Parts: sequence; C-alpha cells; structure tokens
Amino acid sequence: MKALGNRSGLPLKQLGLIAFGGLLIAGIGLGFESAFLLGLAAYTCAFAIFALSVNIMLGGIGEVPLGQCVFFGIGSYAPAIVMQQGGYPFEVGILIGMTVSAFLAILIGWLTLRLTGAYFSIVSWGLSGVAMVTALNLEVTGGPLGLFGFTRLAIGPFDLSSPKVYFIASAVILLVVLVFLAHVRSSRFGNALESTRQSSHLAQSLGINVFRERLKALVLSAPIAALAGSLCIPYTQIVTPEVMSVIRTVDALLAALIGGTSLLIGPVIGAVIFTILPQLMHFDANVKVLVFSLLIIFIIMVAPGGLHQLYKSAVARYRHGKKERA
Amino acid sequence: MDLFVQTVINGLILGSGYALVAVGLTIIFGTLHIVNFAHGAFFALGAYAVLTLQNFGVPYLLAIPLAAIVVAVIGYALELSIVRRALYDRGEHGSIIITFAISQAIVSAIILVIGPDPIPVKSPFGQTAMSVFSYFISAQRLFIAGTALVVLVGFGLWLRNSTKGQQILAVSQNAKGALYSGINVPLIRSLSFILGVAAAGLAGSLLAPLISAFPTMGDANVTIAFTVVILGGLGSIGGALLGALVIGLSNAFFETYVSVSWTPALGWILVILVLLLWPQGLLGKAQLNRH
Repeated sequence: MKALGNRSGLPLKQLGLIAFGGLLIAGIGLGFESAFLLGLAAYTCAFAIFALSVNIMLGGIGEVPLGQCVFFGIGSYAPAIVMQQGGYPFEVGILIGMTVSAFLAILIGWLTLRLTGAYFSIVSWGLSGVAMVTALNLEVTGGPLGLFGFTRLAIGPFDLSSPKVYFIASAVILLVVLVFLAHVRSSRFGNALESTRQSSHLAQSLGINVFRERLKALVLSAPIAALAGSLCIPYTQIVTPEVMSVIRTVDALLAALIGGTSLLIGPVIGAVIFTILPQLMHFDANVKVLVFSLLIIFIIMVAPGGLHQLYKSAVARYRHGKKERA
Repeated sequence: MDLFVQTVINGLILGSGYALVAVGLTIIFGTLHIVNFAHGAFFALGAYAVLTLQNFGVPYLLAIPLAAIVVAVIGYALELSIVRRALYDRGEHGSIIITFAISQAIVSAIILVIGPDPIPVKSPFGQTAMSVFSYFISAQRLFIAGTALVVLVGFGLWLRNSTKGQQILAVSQNAKGALYSGINVPLIRSLSFILGVAAAGLAGSLLAPLISAFPTMGDANVTIAFTVVILGGLGSIGGALLGALVIGLSNAFFETYVSVSWTPALGWILVILVLLLWPQGLLGKAQLNRH
C-alpha cells in the first residue's frame, strides 16, 4: 500500500509541489537560450507524458502494454492529417487524436483486456504491427515517407515553433497531467486499480469489477499517449510510420522502469535520464539502446522498483551504518 | 489450378520454416513458462553466424550446424547469467521485459559490430529451381523444408525415446512433481532453453539465403512464430507443427490472391484473432491466462 505514496497529502503540500514545478519550468524556460537544449527539454516533457501513459498500464494494472505506441501514433497522425488534408489548426488535430484514441481504447480494451500477462502483451504488440503496416499502406498517412512540412504549429496564441514557448507549453501540460494523475491515484478508482494489480482474484471477491477497472485504465491512458504523440511533432517536424513502432513503447517502458513504476513521478525521472544522458555522453542511437537494455536487465535483477529503490536502500544502509558506528 | 497447387507447395515449405522457429518457442514456454521475446534475436544470430563463418571460408552446409552450436553457446551464456537468475518462478511481467531487453541488446550489438544493412548470404543452391511434376520449387526452399522435417522428426523421436527428452516433457507437465521424482529441474530448464534458441538459430541460418541477413530479420519470423505457437497451443509441440502448416498456407494464399504489401499485417491479425477466439490454441491445454 505504501506504493500509493501520500494519498491523503495536505493540499498545502500539493500546492507547494505544483509551485515548485512551476518555478522549475520558469527557471529552465527563461534561463536557457539554446534552441537545441530547449527543444530537447520540450521533447523530454512530451516523452515523459508518454511514459506516464505507459505506466498507467505497467505500474497501474501490471500489464506490459507493448501496443501503447498505437495511441501515440494516432496522436501524431491526427494533427498531421487534419492540418494537411483539411487545413484545420493544430489544436483541433490534438483534440481529434485524443478523442479517437480514447474510443479506440474502448474497443481494443473490450477485446483484449480479458487476456493477461504475455498473452495481452503479444496481442498488444500485434496491434502495433497492424497499425504500422496500415500507416505504411494508406495514402492519407503519406505511406512510408510520412507527413511533413507543417506550416503552423501552435496551441491558441502560443506559437510552438519558438523553442522557448514550445518548452514552456509542453512542461506546463506535463505538470497538468501529473496533477491530474495524482488525483486519479488517490481516488476510489486508483485504489481499485492498486488492489487489482496486487491480486485480481482478491479484488474480484471484494466486489471490484476487475475487467471494468482495467478497461478504465486503458481508456485513461490512451488520450494521454495521444497527447504526447501530438506534442512531439514540433520537435520531430515529421510523422512517419515509425511512430507506431513497438520500439517507441519499449523506450517508454524503459523510462518508467528506470524511474520506478510505483512512483508517480518515476516515469518523468526515467524520461529525463533516458533523453538527457545519451545527449550528454554523445551516444550513438544503437549504443543508447544497448546501454539502456543492459541497464534495464540490471535494474530488474537488482532493484525491481527502479532507481529510487536503489536510492532508498542506499539511504537505509547509510543510516544503518551510522547507527552501528555510534 | 496450377497457381493453386503452386501456392499450396509454397505454403507447406514456408510452414516448415515457421515450424522450426515455433518449436523452439514452444519448448521454452513449456518448461520455463516464459514467452521468449528474444527468440527473433537468436534467429538473427544464427544468420549472422553463418555469414561470419562463410567469411572465414567455411562452406554453407557445414556452417549451418556450426551456427546452431554458436547460438546454443550464446544462449547458454545468457541463460546462466540472466535468465536463470531473473526469470524462473517470477511473474511474467519481468520476463516479458527482460527477454525484450535481451532482444534489443542483441540487435543493437549486431548493428554496432556488423552494421545495419542487409547482407546477402550465399548458398550452394543459389537461384536454381527444380521442377517437380511441372511445378517450380527453388532448391534452397526444398532444402529448408527437408532439413526442417528431418530436424523436427528427429527431435520428436528424441523427446519420446530418450531419458532427457522424457525429463523435458515431465518438467513441462509438472515442474514440482518432476523435482520430487529426482529430476534435475534447473539442468532440464537450461537444456530446453539452449535447444529452443538453437532451433531459432538453425532456422535463421537456413532462411538467411532467402531473405539476407539484417539485424531485425527475426521480428517478422518470430511474430509469425508467436501466431503458430499460440494457434497450436503454447507448450504443445504437435500443435506447433499443425499451427505452422495452417499459418504457412494462409500466408501463401494471402500473398498470392490478396496483397503482398498487406501480408505482414496478416500475421498479426491472425495472432489477435487466435488469441481472442481460441486462447488455448488448437491442441493446447486450457489455461488460466484469462479473467
């Protein structure tokens, strides 16, 4: 139960955390001038939102949702298609992407969430395979070349083509998503999910409709993934069938696992490590995959709770050692 | 009619290749109770092992068994260092992610060491095609089907008639019971893992001349192998063979009569349909992976 953290935390503490987040955003947004760094930071926020969405499934109900990239991809393709084919603004595309992915999640979840474990993961992976082949073969998605050359990427009055605005906008959206998820966690639904994850049979016997709670979790996670997909467009400037690739989900899974799946903020920490570290070390993309794959094997073997578990046990050991010396 | 018979022949030959990959997958699931998401990486390792051995001047026919052995050795090293410590008797949650991570690590290592581009693999059969009753079969495909058949029959006989084979079956039926009757369960699990990945490596080395060697070559084949294995019932070897033929035929028919560019999606759609409609598979035992 400790996994839920400060569920009955004081509103004051929450407000303090939100204020801290706001200050951090303002500090980074105003303090840095480099367009490259700001763009990267904005992309990290978008990626963190996707990792949070994946973690609703991974940390929330204990399934490995390999096909979560389908919702991410819909979130990327929807604004791109809407802008290029219909000439509608970016925001409309984001909303369409989120709505479509939520409805698709109802359908997909209704079909697949009765399966668990590897079976669910394989079907979920399968959906991403179908989605990628579909994106490759359809005309409206631009085939293998994808869609690019977007003229106006803006949310309301905020023009995302300026790196500073792009960063502040995506960081604020990330903060809003975090606050929203914190409320979901401490709600009745959050508790029901946690009990479902720990023991679905026990939860069922207590009168929780396990299937419906799992479905709710997927429907909650899908629009968040779509939102992340939309927010990546100003950084990537192109949408190709690759957005549906299972590799994208795996990246988010790694981020969530590195940061710790039981921690609300875990996926965000993981996403920051996952995008910033390779840039600092000038990793080649393949070296990055190799290093993080090995890291994740190491983490699952040594500290299944993620890096914060390592940190906690290190602190505990340090205190223990101090006591012995005294 | 000619096209129809030709399609059936292609489907049966395709199915024999799938069967090799699928049998490895199903044996690992049967005894270790993990779904080996890294199976495709071992498939690719088999192809690259053949490629490397050929570069050292080893002839293709000799390189095939050697490649299977190389993959088996790599598999054994991973089994000892990771799989054994992290996976047995833990939740599936961890095993999915760890085997996936192993797969990614192997693929990126291949890219770093050898490169991302497809490399053609030479085979003594080349492009020659044989004509049997006026139907054309490429010699390489016939060789694949023949080898797969021999290996699978030999493996089946070995499982049925040897002590070790019986022990593998015992562990997959009831690991605790096998342990109580004095079977060395960890050894049997290692053996199954090694045999499973060696089968994947063998399939990779056989199919490499047809599709050339590239780092993610395993993905497509393993997704199909998942379909095959699930259709046949996870853990059932006879089921895997039956599933392989069904999937091989349906793939060949889809490719000939419907569309080539949508064929990759067919494998996935079949996986999804099979899992939703017959999750216990055609010959599998009813299992509890459902609410």
